[in-house]
Amino acid sequence: MSKKILIVEDDIHISKIIKMNLNLVNYETTEVYDGLSALAAIKQERFDLILLDVMVPQVDGFALMENIRPHGIPVIFLTAKNSVYDKVNGLKLGADDYMVKPFEAIELLARIETVLRRYGKEERVMAFQSIQVDLDKREATKHGSPVELTPKEYELLVVLLKNKNIALSREQFLDKVWGSDYYGETRTVDMHIKSLRKKLELQEHIKTIYKMGYRLED
Amino acid sequence: MKFWQKIYVFSILVFVIIFIAASVMVIERSHNNMLRQEINSALSQNMSIHASVDAIVPILRIFDSIDYEKSVLTRIANEFVDKNSGQLTYLDIRDETGRVVFNNVDFQMPGGRGELDKLNASEIHWVLRDIGERTILFTSNLTDINQKSYVFTYMTDVTPVYQDRVEQYQFFIKVALAACFLYMLIMFFVSRGLTRSIDRLNRTAQVIAQGGFSERVRLKSKDEIGVLANNFNVMAAVVEDKITDLERNNEQKQRFINNFTHELKTPLTSIIGYANFLRTTKYNEELFLDGVNVIYSEGKRLESLSLKLMDLIMLQEEHSQKEMLDLGAVVAEIKPALEIMAKEKGVAIETDCEAGKLPMDPDLIKVLLFNLADNAIKASAEEQTVTIRAYWREEHYILQVIDEGIGIAKEHQDKIFEPFYMADKARTRNSNGAGLGLSICQSVASIHGAAIRITSNEDQGTTVEVDFAPLHSKGEITT
Repeated sequence: MSKKILIVEDDIHISKIIKMNLNLVNYETTEVYDGLSALAAIKQERFDLILLDVMVPQVDGFALMENIRPHGIPVIFLTAKNSVYDKVNGLKLGADDYMVKPFEAIELLARIETVLRRYGKEERVMAFQSIQVDLDKREATKHGSPVELTPKEYELLVVLLKNKNIALSREQFLDKVWGSDYYGETRTVDMHIKSLRKKLELQEHIKTIYKMGYRLED
Repeated sequence: MKFWQKIYVFSILVFVIIFIAASVMVIERSHNNMLRQEINSALSQNMSIHASVDAIVPILRIFDSIDYEKSVLTRIANEFVDKNSGQLTYLDIRDETGRVVFNNVDFQMPGGRGELDKLNASEIHWVLRDIGERTILFTSNLTDINQKSYVFTYMTDVTPVYQDRVEQYQFFIKVALAACFLYMLIMFFVSRGLTRSIDRLNRTAQVIAQGGFSERVRLKSKDEIGVLANNFNVMAAVVEDKITDLERNNEQKQRFINNFTHELKTPLTSIIGYANFLRTTKYNEELFLDGVNVIYSEGKRLESLSLKLMDLIMLQEEHSQKEMLDLGAVVAEIKPALEIMAKEKGVAIETDCEAGKLPMDPDLIKVLLFNLADNAIKASAEEQTVTIRAYWREEHYILQVIDEGIGIAKEHQDKIFEPFYMADKARTRNSNGAGLGLSICQSVASIHGAAIRITSNEDQGTTVEVDFAPLHSKGEITT
């Protein structure tokens, strides 16, 4: 079942781009543009996470926090302010994380995932067509039968699944799979992609994006 | 040592010294007077004996017998002693050889009596001597009786005079102690009272030093300290004003920076977000067009923001060149541009301007007019009219931009001059505004010595009035 995320952001464009990115990776989204509708939405529906712009009209983000806390819904603040005071204040009020605008989509997705995992709401089984990945067992199956993957291949597959439909650069793959302190060549990524394609028959779906990197497509 | 203690100790010291000195002087003087009186009376007694002896001398001469002389002298002496009995007076009569003729002293006569050596007839010498615990006044003279000199010494016990002095001093010590105690008590309260206002001033200064800038000294006295407290309060008020000014200024700057980052980052977030979306996801024509449109319009918004900011920065530098120009002509000059803007929204523009020559920077005035007209057009609905009027009201030249649009709610009216303040965020952003227009107008107006007033009713329209102050008050026309 996909997770529901409430986007509270007064700028329509920003709200929409967040929504588009979240939808790509199968999150359900509801958009509201001011504090009052946010309050109404929280009462009506059950959300798994709220993305909250601190400076929304009518009821500001910090005041909204007070109303959200009783529901126990994780919150990630979105803000243009990059001051330590605001960060500390936000986190003190019970925000789980903090995003300073402008931000990259994959960073937002990563933080959402981290926060959801902390709340035990993360999907432990991911599926892509006939492929299933069980995060607890660290196991990938295709049509129900296990596929032998090296640890790095497995992690690369998880990153691809989590960022479905979004192209990542080789550097981003290196960073996410091999860690930021890995000084290998980007060719390593190409090799692993090649073997993943072969082992899981994903030649059609892992697309090479010119000047960019790779993307897993439906 | 504290100031009140200084006053206290110093005044007590001065008091004690002066009091003691004065009292000692008084006591000594009265003592000396009494002594003088004693001496004088002793001398006169001496002379009276002398006189009574002198009166007998002729008789003695007739008899010319030493024994008789002595008995007569003894008799006179006894008479005298009887007469003065109880008065502690003594008499001693000796002949030339120093043999005692008469003596009734009850003490040991001193040996060497220097005053007798130089004694001449018809002279009386006096001297004070301490004998035992007593003080005796000796007055001596020579009397010649039949070519023989007799030394008469008349003595008075002046011990009471000295005792008196001692008593006086004893009494004085008691009085001095009491007076000092009383004085100390009074001075304690007086010096504390005098310095209490200083203490109060001091405490207030401490409170202010610790940041309590609204603290004031409450003193009603009209002395120097009262004046000081008054001036201190005036100073504190000025400092407080300055500090609230600075704080407000600082707050305004902070708000400006916050708003500015917000206004800058919002379009940037959209641009980066869409660009990244487009480059990382599969091509989809609808999404592509949407995204590119957002990137374009947000880019435009950034451009307009940067232009407005340039205007603001330029205005703050304030080195515009002013020349005498007709404001009506400037309005007429930009009217076509305004009409194009108005036409897009189906709004009509009317102008009605009296000629008015003012010292102005035409470029800045155009910025002002453009911003005000732009606001008016944005606030107007289709088929409404925006009117630009300019006329003389007494010595003031008034420029009005009037619309029939949505108006401004009361709660926003006092804040709309603040940079980045938007009464309606969504509407302002949709028309590429950043909330800087009126700030810019305000700056332009103040450069021209003009005031901007806004009268507005919701849903009935807004009138913005730029009031150019009379020329002579600005010193433009000097004789």
